[in-house]
Amino acid sequence: MSRRIGWALLAIALAALGLLLPHFWLFVAVEVVVFALYAVSFNVLLGYGGMLSFGHAAFFGVGAYALALLVTKGALAVPLALGLAPLAAALAAAGIGYISVRLTGIYFAMLTFAFQMLLYTVALKASWLTGGDDGITGLRASGLLAGPRPWYFAAVALVALALWCLHGVVASPFGYVLRALRANPVRTQSLGVNVRAHQWATFVLTGAFAGLAGALFALSTGSVFPAWLNWTASATPIVMAVLGGIRAFAGPVVGAAVYVLLETVVTGYTEYWPLVMGTIIVALVVLLPDGLMSLRDRGARR
Amino acid sequence: MLRGAYLAATVVRAASPEPWAFPLALAAATVGMFVVGALVEVGLLRRIYRADHAFQLLLTFGLVLVLGDVVKLLWGREDHSVAMPDLLSGSARLVTVTFPVYRLFLIGIALAVALGLWLLLHRTRWGILIRAATLDRQMLNALGVNVNALYTGVFALGAALAGLAGALAAPIVAVGPGLHVQVIIDAFVVVVIGGMGSVSGALAGALLVGLANAFGLLAFPALAVVVTFAVMAVVLIVRPWGLFGTPE
Repeated sequence: MSRRIGWALLAIALAALGLLLPHFWLFVAVEVVVFALYAVSFNVLLGYGGMLSFGHAAFFGVGAYALALLVTKGALAVPLALGLAPLAAALAAAGIGYISVRLTGIYFAMLTFAFQMLLYTVALKASWLTGGDDGITGLRASGLLAGPRPWYFAAVALVALALWCLHGVVASPFGYVLRALRANPVRTQSLGVNVRAHQWATFVLTGAFAGLAGALFALSTGSVFPAWLNWTASATPIVMAVLGGIRAFAGPVVGAAVYVLLETVVTGYTEYWPLVMGTIIVALVVLLPDGLMSLRDRGARR
Repeated sequence: MLRGAYLAATVVRAASPEPWAFPLALAAATVGMFVVGALVEVGLLRRIYRADHAFQLLLTFGLVLVLGDVVKLLWGREDHSVAMPDLLSGSARLVTVTFPVYRLFLIGIALAVALGLWLLLHRTRWGILIRAATLDRQMLNALGVNVNALYTGVFALGAALAGLAGALAAPIVAVGPGLHVQVIIDAFVVVVIGGMGSVSGALAGALLVGLANAFGLLAFPALAVVVTFAVMAVVLIVRPWGLFGTPE
């Protein structure tokens, strides 16, 4: 019962924010939910599947570029492009994942990183298609979704739907197999589970949702840049997930909110945002390795 | 573990433009980074050896961000250039090709360091202990070896060598913020290609990356960077443990 009240309160709060926030903060709020989706999709891979991908930005970027290209060069309607972008990301994830899941641990991280840097270079150099360093600009949602307020509600609804799907996945038998192969891959394999097929499926699935996040962010900012495919963009969801806590489904959501809000506030005061972020990361890893969500759990236990 | 050491190169690359005598700068960079490396290991890294790889990666990433900005604060954001010592600035004639002396000097130093490192790891008691620690840390601890001190030493040594490399490279690159990012990526790629835990592998990896980069620039300039990463991807797919590494 209290759970239902909690959801209702959350929905009311989100709706109230959508109606009351000034335009700048609406934009920040959309950034929060979009990056929450990106970070959760990453964490299904890390927190549940035990796969540390250092190239998750590849799929965020592919989703964003797919949407931008479909809208500008393909002249598709925005909702249709938004539906196709995650498929493009899933396709990229299928190819990269097929090769990458053969490796484990740090080697898996390095191979995903290598593929992501390949895509980054392509986006940077194939300027006839991608606009090179200038990226692609001038994207806008039109019709019913035009304007920051309708766009906020659309983005929140889409992300909520996507998160609900991802939660369904980790709560399903598939999700429990995923946890099992994180804890003990050899034993899981000997129980007759096709470990690589499960890892591959997870890789493709999370890639698709990262692609959706990328497409939403492209629409939100109205542009796409190659930097979204760079390795720093792959570090962002790692930081968010660890910040919030990788052992809870909602951890990365909390992490994304704290990260984006901090960045917005801090960059308003100083250009040394990396210094602040770096200090927070170091302190977090050493002092609070289970993330902010562990504070709540600690409080609940008392 | 060594990966953290590469971030140390950053600081020295910015520190070395001070107009000291060149050998003094080399020594200062090496010793300074040894101290910084030891402090980082004792103060931070030691606490999280038990944690997941993700956390160690994240910690070093955080340190890179911090050091990158500290460098900007201390030395400004413009590029620095370092004058080459007069003794090494000429060029030499080798049979048919002319070659800058400084690059020959670098090759000589690199080979000497590699040889020293190999001897250290394979021919001394300390080296045996290091290799034992990578195999089974707990067992070594149980046998009465102070593994903590050993790790501090290794990390500090790695940082010191990274510092030396940074100072040596200073005269031939533009020293400025942003350099550290490129350096870490290159170092990562080299180590992964060569095989972790192998000195000769790192040398071969560096050679391969250098050649891939040079030929890439010559053949298709626009996509030179792709060549490096393509090489790394192929090596990882065919021999995940690297060219000179051993399978787990």
